[in-house]
Amino acid sequence: MTTTLTERYISATTGSLPLETQSDVRAELEASIADAIESRLEQGEDPADAERAVLTDLGDPVALAASYTDRPLHLLGPRYYLAWWRLLKLLLAIVPAAAVGGVALVQVIIGAPVGEVIGQAISVGISATVHLFFWVTLMFVVLERTGSDTGHDWDLDQLPEPRPTGAGRSEVVASVVFAGLMIGAVLWDRFRGFVQIDGHAHDIQILHPQLWPWALLGMLALLLLEVGLAVLVHLRRGWTTGLAVANTALAAVWVSVILTLLGNELLVNPEFVGLVLPSDGSGPDTARVVVVLFVLSVIGVAAWDTIDGWRKAGREAEHRATARETGLPV
Amino acid sequence: MVWGMSESFDPHLQELRRGTVVLACLRLLRTPGYGYSLLEQLESRGFTTDANTLYPLLRRLEKQGFLTSEWNTEDSRPRKFYVTSADGSSLAETLSQDWVNLSRSIASLTDDLGTPEEN
Repeated sequence: MTTTLTERYISATTGSLPLETQSDVRAELEASIADAIESRLEQGEDPADAERAVLTDLGDPVALAASYTDRPLHLLGPRYYLAWWRLLKLLLAIVPAAAVGGVALVQVIIGAPVGEVIGQAISVGISATVHLFFWVTLMFVVLERTGSDTGHDWDLDQLPEPRPTGAGRSEVVASVVFAGLMIGAVLWDRFRGFVQIDGHAHDIQILHPQLWPWALLGMLALLLLEVGLAVLVHLRRGWTTGLAVANTALAAVWVSVILTLLGNELLVNPEFVGLVLPSDGSGPDTARVVVVLFVLSVIGVAAWDTIDGWRKAGREAEHRATARETGLPV
Repeated sequence: MVWGMSESFDPHLQELRRGTVVLACLRLLRTPGYGYSLLEQLESRGFTTDANTLYPLLRRLEKQGFLTSEWNTEDSRPRKFYVTSADGSSLAETLSQDWVNLSRSIASLTDDLGTPEEN
């Protein structure tokens, strides 16, 4: 049971080599190592020390074996990295969102409870992302090791067009008009009522009566914050990381407020629901589908708003960096 | 300070020297040689190379047809002797010529630096 270090080293190196070269490499390595040890012994070194020193100089046997077979010592090299990254970005932008949306829709339509819908959607979103990463990467690792071509060369037509980043006055105006309309609509709904139906003693509100005054005032404050954000973007001449963070926070607050109220049946006036969607206990649950579509659009709008803010902030940062480099005024 | 400088030079020096080991091997192996002897020859002539770079390099050059090999079992231990092939000689010739051209170009750059107004 006395296997020398040299034998162990050589076995570790040749083990992963193609069979037809193994014995040749083994014999050559044996001779080379023996020569090297011999030369150290001639200089009066201790045999054990000499062996250790020679083998240590040769380094990791796996790296040596890779060097013999021209095997790459990386997962993805520069030849495939950019193609991998482009494809991954493209798929990540599409697949997980589609999977989450699809699963949530199906779950809701088959009547799963809210908690389960959210849980399922999140778990499908995570596993879709993980799968995407794994399979796309695996595909490129195989491509790299089989030496195939990605069939995709970069050309000038792929240069992105510089786009205006929406720091203009029109965004502020749009934001103010939208907020004004919303505030007007909410107040009108509260004090006059949108729905007037014959035979009813009073007009019916769309929003839940208990929302007045604090919840509604809170929402009005949020609307004013949105306007403030648009004004800030205009004043700062573009999106910054800080503004994008604020925008994201605001979107998250909106979504959670609306969904919490909806989940507790505090958003919409039950009297209004009863009038518009009379449930006679037969047929598919129309109200449920309406709620689902409403929730999806709330989340979708908020997500889009958030992403848009970050995209613009990113472009703006790039633009500023370029301007600094080229000495052009920002 | 001086230390820091020379450390930051190292990667550039390595890059510049990378291809010269191939040329040195092709020239030295006009007389047959084996792995460890070549390693020592390279070292003594100023082409210091790691063993784990040289041994795979020799096999690669053999696979590409620039070296041929033969096992010699007459010595104290069997050794694989490499010798430069005809293809290897013409590769060495081409590499040497390129090296000469390059050093001439570099010399001209260095000369220009001394007399910039003549340009």
